[in-house]
Amino acid sequence: MSRIALLTAPEAPFGLADLYADGDPGPIVAALAHIPELAEVTLPFLGAVLGPSAVGLRTKEIVILRSSAMLGCRYCVDAHTVVARDASLSVDEVRALRGEGDVAAAFAEDRERALIAWVDAVAVGPGDPPAAVAAAMAERYADADLVELTLLVGTTVMLNRFATCLRLPTGEQTRSRLDAEGWS
Amino acid sequence: MSAAIGEHPHSPATLAGAVAAGRMSGRLWLYANYHCNLACTYCLTESAPGVPRRLLGGDRMRALADEAATLGFTAIGVTGGEPFLLPDLPEVVADLAARLPVVVLSNATLFTPALVERLRPWADLPVTVQVSLDRPDPVDNDAMRGPHNFRKVVEGVPLLVEAGIRVRVATTLELDEIGPEPTADQERLCVLHRALGVADEDHVIRPIVRRGRAATQGLGVVAARDDLEPELTVTADGAFWSPFAPTVTGGRLDIDLLVSRSTTPLELPVSRMLGFLEGRSPGHDTTLGIR
Ligand code: SF4
Repeated sequence: MSRIALLTAPEAPFGLADLYADGDPGPIVAALAHIPELAEVTLPFLGAVLGPSAVGLRTKEIVILRSSAMLGCRYCVDAHTVVARDASLSVDEVRALRGEGDVAAAFAEDRERALIAWVDAVAVGPGDPPAAVAAAMAERYADADLVELTLLVGTTVMLNRFATCLRLPTGEQTRSRLDAEGWS
Repeated sequence: MSAAIGEHPHSPATLAGAVAAGRMSGRLWLYANYHCNLACTYCLTESAPGVPRRLLGGDRMRALADEAATLGFTAIGVTGGEPFLLPDLPEVVADLAARLPVVVLSNATLFTPALVERLRPWADLPVTVQVSLDRPDPVDNDAMRGPHNFRKVVEGVPLLVEAGIRVRVATTLELDEIGPEPTADQERLCVLHRALGVADEDHVIRPIVRRGRAATQGLGVVAARDDLEPELTVTADGAFWSPFAPTVTGGRLDIDLLVSRSTTPLELPVSRMLGFLEGRSPGHDTTLGIR
């Protein structure tokens, strides 16, 4: 049960009608709708950071799912288990990112293992990530990628805490996908 | 500053321009509070003695009046709840009226001689008190508004008039009771308000809006956003499209007509309001005459 009312189309501020035009916009929108002026800037920001960009979809889903698992965010882990599978991560890879399997065994590529170590360090901190983890990233990623991936971890952590602390419910579509594919 | 408003992406127009073009009311409404000594059957805000007060506060109201005058608003409305339950209302309204003309809405049940004495300075200020009176008979009137309401109004209004304070009477009826010609009851009500010292031009009749307790009771007319005159309305909870917008239904604030949660600076909701108004034709107005 969510800690806040998730606004339906007739309850939401009129200025956000477009977000409801295709039906239920999901709990993050339905929560942000309480503050239209923040929803209007937050949603495009989330879209820009989490959506398609110069960094490929697979890489982004590794970051989002791993951050969410590190933060123990049930809502985001549920949602991004499905998205990660759609972004062609294997079942073993998704299990490893969720903390249910061995990362080293699931991810053959050095580059992706370095990224996962970076995500773990950035997401939970505290303080500066270990030098070896930072060096491994610097060797394998350009500055622009490092900036974008680190922003992506930070943004995911923000969403993790938002969804967890407001107890946002997993959407019905996601729930049925998870059930159908055997995710607990 | 109105020039600065024009720079916001939401609003190429200025407030003064929108008001002059008839796109938006020049009056800024302030919800002083939500509690009330009455509990009328059609109350938009489910007001009653024990409800959450949602106070705006005198200092905040003064600050809003300052900003309103700077931004180009031409008048202020104070509503509630029953604003006269607030102990500092006489002084707060006097301060607002030093900035802009003020209309204060009231159920007119609290006007004791002692209170009216404190209101005397309003006689020299641009202050109007708009009181509610729906029916020319105590039984019919009090059925919707509660016991002794009628008597208190007909006793209170002359005290205000004698103190030199301008009074308007607002009558709230079902839409089908409002026709081009006044009914016999409305004629009698006009006789009454004239006898109380309120002129015909200071009597308004408007329909019950189906929001808040009126919606729960199945009363009034359904009003969409464009049926309501755009009149920026600030409450403790945010800025709304119209004074008919920040209603309470089932104990929960309705935010379907919320413009912004934040009201500081006032320029923020003004700018958003102007953005929403863009594209509406000049003079675009309500189809239901809800004001
Ligand atoms: S309609 Fe006015 S007088 Fe009646 S309960 Fe509501 S706020 Fe009070």
